[in-house]
Amino acid sequence: MSFSKVEVRLTVNGTEYVRSVEPRYLLADFLRHELGLTGTHIGCEQGVCGACTVLLDGRTARSCLHFAVQVSGSEVTTIEGVSADESLKPIQDAFHHNHALQCGYCTPGFVMTTVEFLKDNPAPDEAAIRRGLTNNVCRCTGYVNIIKAVAEAADNMPGGEG
Amino acid sequence: MAVQDIPSEDSWKNVGRSIPRREDAWLLTGKGCYVDDVPEPPNTLHLGFVLSPEAHARIVSIDTAEALALPGVVDVLTGDDIAELAQPIHTSFLLEGHRDTFRDAIAREKARFVGEAVAVVVAENPYVAEDGVERVFVSYETLPPAIDLESAARDDAPLVHEELGTNIVLESTFATDGLDEAFAGATQVIKETFRTGRIAGVPMEPRGCLATIDRAGEELTMWTATQIPNLVKTAVANLLDHPESSIRVITPDVGGGFGTKAHFYPEELVCPALALKYGRPVKWIQDRREEILTNIHAREHIYTVEAGIDADGVIVAMRCNMMANAGAYSSYPFGATLEAVGGVRFVLGPYHIRNYGFETRAVASHTCPAGAYRGTAQPTAMLAIEGMMDRIGRAIGVDPAEVRRRNLIKPDQLPYTTVVGMHYRTGSYSESLERALEMIDYSRLRSDQTADRLVDGKYRGIGICCYTENSGMGVAAVRARGWSAIPGFDGALVRVASDGKVKAFISHAACGQGYYTSFAQIVADQLGVHFEDVSIVVGDTGLTPEGSNTFASRGTVTGGGAAVRACLVVADKMKRIAADVMEVSADDIRIEDGVAMVQGVPDMSMTVREIAEVAYSKTPHAMPEGQDYGLEATDHYDAGMPTISNAVHVAAVAVDPDDGTVEVERYVVVHDCGRVINPMIVDGQVHGGAVQALGEVLMEELVYDEAGQLQNATLLEYLLPTAMDAPMMDVEHIQSITDENPGGFKGLGEGGVIGGVPALTNAIADALSGIGANVNVNPLRPSRIADIIDAALGTNSA
Amino acid sequence: MKPAPFEYVSPESEEEVLDLLHQHGDDARLLAGGQSLVPMLNLRIVQPEVIIDLGRCPSLAFISAENGTLVCGAMTRQMTAERSPAVRENCPLLAKALPYLGGTAHRNRGTVGGTLAHADRLAELPAVALALDAEFIARKSGSERMIAAADFFLTDLTTALEEGEMLHSIRLPRADGNHHTAFVEVGNRRHGFAIVGLAAALEIAADGTVAGARLAAMGVGAAPVRLHEAEQILVDGPAGDDTLRAAGEAAAQAIDPDDDIHASAVYRRRLTSTLVRRAVQEILGNEAGS
Repeated sequence: MSFSKVEVRLTVNGTEYVRSVEPRYLLADFLRHELGLTGTHIGCEQGVCGACTVLLDGRTARSCLHFAVQVSGSEVTTIEGVSADESLKPIQDAFHHNHALQCGYCTPGFVMTTVEFLKDNPAPDEAAIRRGLTNNVCRCTGYVNIIKAVAEAADNMPGGEG
Repeated sequence: MAVQDIPSEDSWKNVGRSIPRREDAWLLTGKGCYVDDVPEPPNTLHLGFVLSPEAHARIVSIDTAEALALPGVVDVLTGDDIAELAQPIHTSFLLEGHRDTFRDAIAREKARFVGEAVAVVVAENPYVAEDGVERVFVSYETLPPAIDLESAARDDAPLVHEELGTNIVLESTFATDGLDEAFAGATQVIKETFRTGRIAGVPMEPRGCLATIDRAGEELTMWTATQIPNLVKTAVANLLDHPESSIRVITPDVGGGFGTKAHFYPEELVCPALALKYGRPVKWIQDRREEILTNIHAREHIYTVEAGIDADGVIVAMRCNMMANAGAYSSYPFGATLEAVGGVRFVLGPYHIRNYGFETRAVASHTCPAGAYRGTAQPTAMLAIEGMMDRIGRAIGVDPAEVRRRNLIKPDQLPYTTVVGMHYRTGSYSESLERALEMIDYSRLRSDQTADRLVDGKYRGIGICCYTENSGMGVAAVRARGWSAIPGFDGALVRVASDGKVKAFISHAACGQGYYTSFAQIVADQLGVHFEDVSIVVGDTGLTPEGSNTFASRGTVTGGGAAVRACLVVADKMKRIAADVMEVSADDIRIEDGVAMVQGVPDMSMTVREIAEVAYSKTPHAMPEGQDYGLEATDHYDAGMPTISNAVHVAAVAVDPDDGTVEVERYVVVHDCGRVINPMIVDGQVHGGAVQALGEVLMEELVYDEAGQLQNATLLEYLLPTAMDAPMMDVEHIQSITDENPGGFKGLGEGGVIGGVPALTNAIADALSGIGANVNVNPLRPSRIADIIDAALGTNSA
Repeated sequence: MKPAPFEYVSPESEEEVLDLLHQHGDDARLLAGGQSLVPMLNLRIVQPEVIIDLGRCPSLAFISAENGTLVCGAMTRQMTAERSPAVRENCPLLAKALPYLGGTAHRNRGTVGGTLAHADRLAELPAVALALDAEFIARKSGSERMIAAADFFLTDLTTALEEGEMLHSIRLPRADGNHHTAFVEVGNRRHGFAIVGLAAALEIAADGTVAGARLAAMGVGAAPVRLHEAEQILVDGPAGDDTLRAAGEAAAQAIDPDDDIHASAVYRRRLTSTLVRRAVQEILGNEAGS
């Protein structure tokens, strides 16, 4: 059994990090336990639930389905990065005002998915929102308020209708 | 002036408002702190559990040598090793007909379900712990298992606990006097059997636990993803023989519970036992496979109901025979009572039924232990009674809404005590039904229906559920259920600090309900301070008073009740201080918006902060004669018997005969939980519960094969509803305030699923009733619906 | 659920990949987008000694069209293909099927070649490939061969690729004539794993009748199934519902599905029949509307 570590170089939320980890170390664990960015949650480690969604070079990706070494050299944005970005504030504001979260465990994944979704679909209808969110699982809200929040965020994003 | 025990109606200012939640500030930004986010202390050990691949097997030998040889593996322990540290999990039941079972935290001698831990690997990190788990070689002698409910109940079934001599771990019967005579007087008797699938709560955060021991080796601190920190504390103390006063259980942010986390689990015993053994922090984070294999399962009920009716469809007598699969071990703290006892008690719902009898059994099997999942017995109990209402309507040719009208408890019958002793103080059974029917335009929907229910190529049906929800159980209620490990009361400590800010410490644990906001609304109103000046502490036995915690929709009634009562004491003291300072009568003082005002004297006032400065001796003014310093009160509130909420859900669905899929076209809810604290939060609870119901009815089912292998222990195969499956819904509130608790609150956490399961099932049943199909089973996946249609039409389209 | 240890290599050229495959044989697994492989690694269902990451081998990620034949490099990300005008223009069926592959996050990372070589019985693209008679270009150290789609998918999770061989690209020939396509599927929920899916391509004659038909179903067996009998009925039969029904029934009879916890075999037959009708109606409806 080989435990030899490899160097991983990642730019996360604009900061470059270099760490030595085993090749099998998952990106989700790397973010959470090597970098202390615990806003990215692990819900299934099979890519189903979406709680671990991050932006990898600007596009959503399941951080539980990537090895840190595999994406070495990439840029990663996590919920902590989104929270520091004023231009994305309407998304979190809309989740807050519409009570679109309860236990909050799935929420960072939903926010990351919404960031990309609204970039791709600046004026979505309800059906498009449902399709866009369908690969993130929430067990608390019944999705009703999440769908409302994403519609409201679309209106309030810079360049949106609101 | 005596301290009043019921707040005045005009004191509610923040309560009733949809204040956006406070906890969002951290949960939305990635600053939430769930158990795996708690900063890991140096030298933390990580656990990996070796799970039995056998449903029923004798453990012949366990070879740990290869695992122990792995670099990074610190130790491997078997059941015998753990038994030296911890007693088996067990709680005795003060209930006739309950047979107690004992569960070793790590199985010894026999494994009784697939997923039961048979050894634990202690390692330096979680990856190596899993490497070690793979290298523990267990030799089993396979024994025949008892898996499904009816097989396990047979006399010749393999026994789960040989010492009991039976798999029936609970049996109970009841009948009102003259039941047979009442049946004899019925014009007809309608009988139906309802079967429901095995499901589970599946919160998005699996469980996890971190246990640390202080430098003296005495003070044990546990962070655990639970709804019941105080009950965990007591269990750990008893089973490790460690002083309970030296145990602190903290629930950080918890990623959903739904009852799943309202049980004490073996890992919560192994982590502190090993922290004590090694003198090092011990951590375990559950993965999804373990979550589905080993966290409490639920439902898998069979109800057989007989309803004797008169010519108008009014039930004159009813019998209910129920069976529930209890799994391999009784859960802690509920034993095997939760479903089997609850189901036959709750099945009466909001209906006036005076002649009633039941037989109920909980059956042990070689499957994952069963216990609480949102609604517990109520979704299936309501499925049974509401299914009967529809069948009565079909039998006598009367609209199902009308059948309900005739059977509901009428407003002038309240307060009402059911024949099994449930007290309904206030409620809006008829009013909720009428409003819900109006919202969905019921008469038009009905008149649009054709005889065969086929409209535009789809079968269209309407389903109604009128339900009562059992909430806010106090001491009498838990005693009545035989639960000796639950105290029944809850506690609140309300403290106004010297700066005038308020902290309330309440013996509940948050896992998404919004306690940081709704409890603050209550406290702000009852102290007369600004909402912004109140903060809430929950989920930490080191800080909050003793209590029974968060399950069975207890939070607002028991925690809210305790908070109100503590606030009234503190408010009274504030008034006395203010009266003393301002030299007026305390009776003339009213505190609002953080200011104590004197009635009739507009210029005279003092702030809560100024009052607090007196209370903490920060000003020269002394405390009034006979008053102690400080400004806080602790209340231990016993809510007594359950408080009963009610609601009506109505669903309109379309069933596609070509593929068996169901679309929910309209969904309305009229909800009555007494005084609504935060309407937006209540709506969210209803939405979430209703979509869990949709999962239960349309897709979710845990399937064991005959050998006891769980066939779908991943989220790829155990399907949860997603945004494309969830309907939009209209929710309205009626507020039947109750005087059973100081706030007039009724619990509501489970209602969405209780109403949703019968409403959706009945809607599908109604849609398929036109072709003569009888729908009496859940879940109703497309494949099963297609089979039902084929059977009804006598076709097989393929 | 953490993977067992492995050695990780990330070659930057095809030659290196093939050398490594040759060297490690069955001890190695190729990592493309990882959306199917990594869950299996996390569950420790597979435990290769070596992971050969194709993510740093740019020559495998390309889309080109030659005389209407779309050529897709194995490492083309699914989202790249979904958004590619060349794909929409030359192989609309592929463009229609791609959105059914998981969510955006999966398609951002998952690859066209990865899902084909993984050959899950519930994957959409194998049915598309089979319907369109795609050609699979397989390479190993020093050699290349072409495998027809009909020969490529052997059973669940198993293809005709041999030890040391790698899927290089897939060629999707353009169908002749006035060609229309549809991809339809139904699952136990609205999105996610299907129970049955159907890829359909019809050639519509000038008079609106079906001149040619290609139908392939997924989820009805261990590998995708081409529905030749149903195709023939659609071409031979008179226009109308009876022909549609007959084609659906022929499709249902041509398959040999299993019962499992998600659906019965009887239901899978019914659904296949329904999907044949739906796909053809969708195509004819669009044709009539255009």
